[in-house]
Amino acid sequence: MVALLVGMCPGLDEGLLRSLRAADIRTVEDLVSSDIEDLAQKCSVSYKALFAVRRVLLAQHTAFPVSGADLYEELLSSTAILSTGNPSLDKLLDSGLYTGEITELTGGPGSGKSQVCFGVAVHIAYHLKQSVIYIDTTGGLTAGRLLQMLQTETNNRDEQMEALQRIHTFRLFDVCALLDCLYGLICGRGRGACVGGGSVKALIVDSVSAVIAPLLGGKQNEGMSLMRQVAAALKTMAKDFSVAVLVTNHVTRSGSGEAQPGLGVSWSHVPTTRILLERVESGASGRRSATLIKSSRQACLIKEDFDLQWWSRAEGGRGGGGGGETSGKRKLDETDP
Amino acid sequence: KRAAVSAVRMKRPVSSLSLGSSLKGKLVRAGFQFTTDLQDLNPEHLSAEAGVSQQEALEALQAASSGHGVAPVTALELLQKEEEFRSIVTFCSQLDEALGGGVPVGKVTEICGAPGVGKTQLCLQLAVDVQVPAVFGGLGGQVLFVDTEGGFQVQRLVDLAGAAVRHCSLLAEDEEQRVAMTTFTVETILSNVFLVRCRDYVELLAELHLLADFLSNRPRLRLLVIDSVAFPFLRLHDDLSQRTRLLQGLGLRLIAAATGHNIAVVTTNHMTTRLHSSQAQLAPALGDVWGHAPSIRLLLRWEESRRLASIVKSPGHMDASVQYQITYQGFRDADQSERPPSKRPRSQTDQSASSRKNTGT
Repeated sequence: MVALLVGMCPGLDEGLLRSLRAADIRTVEDLVSSDIEDLAQKCSVSYKALFAVRRVLLAQHTAFPVSGADLYEELLSSTAILSTGNPSLDKLLDSGLYTGEITELTGGPGSGKSQVCFGVAVHIAYHLKQSVIYIDTTGGLTAGRLLQMLQTETNNRDEQMEALQRIHTFRLFDVCALLDCLYGLICGRGRGACVGGGSVKALIVDSVSAVIAPLLGGKQNEGMSLMRQVAAALKTMAKDFSVAVLVTNHVTRSGSGEAQPGLGVSWSHVPTTRILLERVESGASGRRSATLIKSSRQACLIKEDFDLQWWSRAEGGRGGGGGGETSGKRKLDETDP
Repeated sequence: KRAAVSAVRMKRPVSSLSLGSSLKGKLVRAGFQFTTDLQDLNPEHLSAEAGVSQQEALEALQAASSGHGVAPVTALELLQKEEEFRSIVTFCSQLDEALGGGVPVGKVTEICGAPGVGKTQLCLQLAVDVQVPAVFGGLGGQVLFVDTEGGFQVQRLVDLAGAAVRHCSLLAEDEEQRVAMTTFTVETILSNVFLVRCRDYVELLAELHLLADFLSNRPRLRLLVIDSVAFPFLRLHDDLSQRTRLLQGLGLRLIAAATGHNIAVVTTNHMTTRLHSSQAQLAPALGDVWGHAPSIRLLLRWEESRRLASIVKSPGHMDASVQYQITYQGFRDADQSERPPSKRPRSQTDQSASSRKNTGT
């Protein structure tokens, strides 16, 4: 519903606006859907003038259809696929995170969602040399861990610092702050990283359920509306700025004990691709299994095992121990020179 | 044309502002769909147009013009801030190593375990350790201890405080450390512990509502202990959805306090039985809902006659298990009850490396 304002189109001046208001026509929709002859008589203005105003307003506010071919051309030129850095995950995601889409990682506590987010952020910042925006609502963001992952990629301190500077972080703990932050990025009025600049290719929100889930249910009626606002903001970011959006979600247990992604059915339509992470009971401490539960490109329920320590594996012999213990999250004494 | 359409979408819709839903409804019905529509109006004009009171019009205009969020912090700046703050040692050097220095400041750590395994003991030990002066590698901070179970014993705290003071006075080498020892006594340790007793979940939530004020009045506070967070909620089983919401809100508030005021938050949790594919397993209580709140989870358990502490969830450290014991002096490494453990990490690496192989981690 767009309000009628002076100067919106030639011919819509103060006098006309006042008489329209008097006839209870406040928005463009009201004007376009009312009978012009009737209105011209009521407001004592010429039929032709009103008709011309209506025509200009219709032209300004209609949506134009786009042909499929044009859409395809645009998609080819604007979509990029960002590898996550882990080949097993890339296989599940059909070679990586697609810009213009929202990908969701879901899993129970300790299943590795934050670790995957760190790994993706580090890979994109270091290998692809693009900026990453990381919104943390869980308090789990540890820059020391990001540095650890970078240290296994390169020994050069300057390169590590440069990669760390490409990761822009926000720490927010309620949904209004999240909406402010997202719209600040979209409208470009936030200081610092602006999404419109073009160098931001990925937005990671860990986790979106931590701020929304407390608002759902019970006697609260704002929850669903705020959830939809967040979904709209994320979709705008993804589609209009060609950004790959990665969000994490918690799980709830259904009646039979099966793990289901949280936030309910209303949220399930928002992400294009969903992956469920689980611990592998018998494996080594870093093993996780990832299952594809929603995808528009691949058959669902494909399962892949992967190692959380992949993002911090050693390249060649950097003193990474033999046997079962690969490099990565080293204990303090081993990194002492 | 396409540019015009995309320009429209770069505006922020009024329905995403943090205002009351009836106010937002009135604004949208009057035709103010985006915040840019609200930009150049004065409150009288807006209240006339939208049919809202002057007060509400003022509120709406303020919300529309402010609120672009905070500036981002690059990961490099975050790293520098993290390195500024030390962790709280537990006096069990193996556990400290596994945790990368100790219980970290700025995060929520959870200690789970069966009754009697030593959760309250570890909390009391941390309450003493956070007060160790900075010259000895500690934080010199105060502690707020929220006791919901009645497990807090002053006499035990006195014992632990005495042991810590004796340990530090043995380590005092130079003038600065000796001066610090004059302010590090059992009396001062006790006076820096603020104890609150909460009998049910309502009192606990009320206490946490007041937390922000409490923290801003006491800038030296570095540790918040909640022993235990499970006990008041375990009795709320008639309305599970309310319990879920309360726990999620509680978790968010604790994380916000930890990061906003740079304090370490330590909570304790009980264990419950979970049926998983027809096998009964012990799992931390309060379910997965609460499981997402703490960043770090320590599990204390018995294995035959040994006590083990395992890290089961952590953003920066690998899962590890170490052995510990609880002596008269408090929470300590196993096999070292006679000698006071040295605080110098390098001389410890050989012993701890060998004892780690023995415990089979």
